[in-house]
Amino acid sequence: MKLTHVQIDALQELGNIGAAHAATTLSTMLSANISMSVPEIKMIDISEIHKYVGDEIAALVLFQVNGEVKHGGYLLLYIPKSSVIRLTNAMLGLTEMDRELDEMDESALLEVGNIMVSAFLDGTAELLNIIMLPSPPQLVIDMPHAAIESIIASQESEDINEVVLFRTALVSDAHNIQSSIFLFPNNPMLEDIIRRLEELLNPPI
Amino acid sequence: MSLMPAGTDTAIIGIGEYRVGSMPMASIGLGSCVGLILHDRQTGIGALVHIMLPASQGKTDRPGKYADTAIDVLLKELSRSGSSPANLIAKIAGGSAMFKTFSGNLNIGERNVEVIRKLLKDNNIPLKGEDVGGCVGRTIFYYPKENGKLVIKKGDGKLSEL
Repeated sequence: MKLTHVQIDALQELGNIGAAHAATTLSTMLSANISMSVPEIKMIDISEIHKYVGDEIAALVLFQVNGEVKHGGYLLLYIPKSSVIRLTNAMLGLTEMDRELDEMDESALLEVGNIMVSAFLDGTAELLNIIMLPSPPQLVIDMPHAAIESIIASQESEDINEVVLFRTALVSDAHNIQSSIFLFPNNPMLEDIIRRLEELLNPPI
Repeated sequence: MSLMPAGTDTAIIGIGEYRVGSMPMASIGLGSCVGLILHDRQTGIGALVHIMLPASQGKTDRPGKYADTAIDVLLKELSRSGSSPANLIAKIAGGSAMFKTFSGNLNIGERNVEVIRKLLKDNNIPLKGEDVGGCVGRTIFYYPKENGKLVIKKGDGKLSEL
């Protein structure tokens, strides 16, 4: 599937709105300013995913997107390992940096993922005028490439050759925390979103 | 940063890709995918393929992506570079289940491994080493010139060798 410039711009705007909502909630949780990068949107061949996500351990909070949109897409909050402890410390009011992650950290990560991803979907759903809901979250602390290729492989019947990578970075300078939101829509969901965006741009008379 | 040196001469094999040769080869972050190595003990040449799904169901455009077409294409390419099937050994890594609760085929890793084992058996290629399953990611480095050494780095940081 080829995306036109107009479609990419529309998706970028959609992502911008979602990410801004997510950044606001993160900012509230941390009581700190969050800066947000311009969302990056790319069509990537599966053989090149390793150029974008590697094998450095990270915390990944994963959601399937449900609701009034064709389901099957995934949203993923990605926090590099170096930021995980700083994030959970800031949330839990702890200071010890040199410690192992425990159940408290895992609940904190699920919580922050839930809140940010729900906000992201609220923002995008408002624009598209439909309800989009996240599935219960799943936390993986492992190699990001391994997680993402498993998601792609699990959609076996679609036999995916290309994915749309949408990512935006959210950074808190005060806490030195980095995170990214990835959206991997599958083709039916992508087509559905694009159709709705095009209707917004060219409303039927 | 990778723990292991992926030098500039290391060929990175992405999802659905394969290479045949004697240079070091690597696959980054295997999850449910399986890295299959066919190594020629006589010539020090071998192949690495990054398999994503068990069955091609007639598709031929990406032979490295599916277990059945991957083994066919590797055997063909290895024979073209002078390997005799009798000298080949196999090693596999990957095939894990990274998630527990999502919809979709969550046992794809296990099915990949099963199909590959069967195809190796059908082709009389001995499976000399495997590190498969669990719920952990793996990065693998294959060194054809060092007797087909396969170094595995796991998501929890542990290194091992096959």
